Amino acid sequence: MDLVQQHIWGWNIATYLFFGGLGGATMALGILGEMRFKLGKWFGILTSLLGLAILSFGLIWLVIDLIDPLRFLLAFWVAGIGHSWIARGMVIINGAYIFGVLYAIAAFLEKETFKKWMGYLAMFCGFGVTTYTGLLLNANVGIPFWHTPALPLLFTISAFSTGCALLMLILAAMKSHEAKHYFHFIEGFDIFLISAELLTIFAYFDFARLGNAAVMKSAHMLLANPLFTIGFVVLGLISPLILEAYASVKESAKGVALVASIMVLIGGYLLRYLIVWAGVFQYPHGLAG
Amino acid sequence: MARYGMVMNVHACLGCRACMAACSEWNQTPFWAEDFKGKWRTRVTEIEEGKFPEVKRYFFPTICMHCENPPCHSVCPTEATYINKDGIVLIDYDLCLGCGYCIEACPYDARYEYELDDLKQDEFYFGEDARHHQAHVDKCTFCVDRLAEGIEPSCAATCVGHARIFGDLDDPKSEIAQLVSTGKAKPLGEYMGAKPKVYYIK
Repeated sequence: MDLVQQHIWGWNIATYLFFGGLGGATMALGILGEMRFKLGKWFGILTSLLGLAILSFGLIWLVIDLIDPLRFLLAFWVAGIGHSWIARGMVIINGAYIFGVLYAIAAFLEKETFKKWMGYLAMFCGFGVTTYTGLLLNANVGIPFWHTPALPLLFTISAFSTGCALLMLILAAMKSHEAKHYFHFIEGFDIFLISAELLTIFAYFDFARLGNAAVMKSAHMLLANPLFTIGFVVLGLISPLILEAYASVKESAKGVALVASIMVLIGGYLLRYLIVWAGVFQYPHGLAG
Repeated sequence: MARYGMVMNVHACLGCRACMAACSEWNQTPFWAEDFKGKWRTRVTEIEEGKFPEVKRYFFPTICMHCENPPCHSVCPTEATYINKDGIVLIDYDLCLGCGYCIEACPYDARYEYELDDLKQDEFYFGEDARHHQAHVDKCTFCVDRLAEGIEPSCAATCVGHARIFGDLDDPKSEIAQLVSTGKAKPLGEYMGAKPKVYYIK
C-alpha cells in the first residue's frame, strides 16, 4: 500500500464545512426556539436569516476553491443528484434558502399556518445541510478515514453543537423569561451533544487502532498534532463540557457558559479542518507516483 | 460496442517514459508544469524493493482504470463524468464544475486539475490547435479521438516493450481478453469495488 496525504481539499473546504453546518444548525434551532419556546417572531426571523447568512459566507469559500470560480453556476446543474452528495447538497441548500426566506416572510406577515409549514421545511433543510457535509466526505472510497459511517454522525453532532453555542451567545443577550428557558434547554442539549461527540471521537479512534494502514496513519497524524489533542479535544470538547455542566447548575454562571460557547465554536472549526487535513489515500502499491 | 481495457505488463516496461511523452503531446496535458506536479494522464513510477543484496527495481505504469463502477462518476454532481458506450470513463469539459470531488474520490490517483494557467500554456505551445479551452478536471480518455479513427491510444502505440496491451475485453480472440481470462493479468485494489478495466501482470 502507498499512503499519501490528500492535498486537493484544505482550508477553503474546511471553512465551508464549518460555516455550512453552523448555518444549517442555527436556522433549525432558531426556528425551533420560535415555534416551540415562544421566543417571538423576530427571534425566528433573525435566527433563520442569520443561519442563511452564515451558510452564504461558507459557500463563498466553496466557490473560491473551484478550479475556475467563475464556473460556479454549473453547481445548479444537479444532473448527478441520483448519486452525488454535492448535487444533493445543492438541492438541500437551495431548499434551506427558499423555505428559510419564506418562513421569515410568513413570520413577518404573521401568517401562522404558512409559517408553521415553512418552518418545518426550513428546519428539515437546515438539518439536511448539517448532515450532508459528512456524507460528502464519506463518499471518498480511497480515503478510509473518511469512508466510515461515523463521519456523517460526527459532523452532524458537531454542527448542532456549534449551532447551540451560537444560539447561547444570542440568547444570553435577551432578557425575557422565554429566552432564559430556551437558553437552559440549549445548554442541556449542548452538554448532551458534546458528550455524544466525545463518545463518537473515542469510537473513531478505537476503530482506527484496529483499522487498516491508512486509517492508522490518519489517526496518528491527528494524535501527533497539538491542534487536535489540545486545541480540539481538550479546549474544544472537554473544557466546554465541564464549563457548561458547571454553568447549568449555577444560576449566576452565564458568563462561564458563554466562554464555553466560544470554545465550542473554535473546536468545531478545528475539527473540520483537521479531519480534512488528515485524509490519507490508500493507493494500491506503485500508484502513487 | 466494445469494452475497452488495457493490460500493463510490468515486466516489459523499460521505464523510458515514451508513453508519458506521447500522451502529453497528443492530449496536450501539462508537461510544462513546474516539477511536473503530477499532472499526467499516465505515469511511470520507479520502484525499488527489498534490502541489499536482494534488491529489485522495476517500473510501474499507471493510467485511469476506466472502472465499471467508477467512484469518480458516483460523486460527480453535474454528470460531467460519464461512461461512453465502449465503457470508457470520460469528462464533458463543458459540464465540469471543477470542484475536485472526483479527484478525492478516485482511489487510483488518475485525475488532476487542468487550471487556468495550464490553459494559457496550452495556447502558448499549441496555438490554434490548443484543445483545452476551459478549466476542468482532466484524466485519461484511452485517446477516444484516436479510437474513432481506428488507432490505438498514444501510450500503447508508442510503447517499445509492448508493456501496454490495449484492446476489447469482450473480444475473446484479443490478446488482452486472453491475458485477463487466463488470470495472468489482474486488476489493482479489487477490494475497493470499483471494478477497474486496467489489469496488471506483475
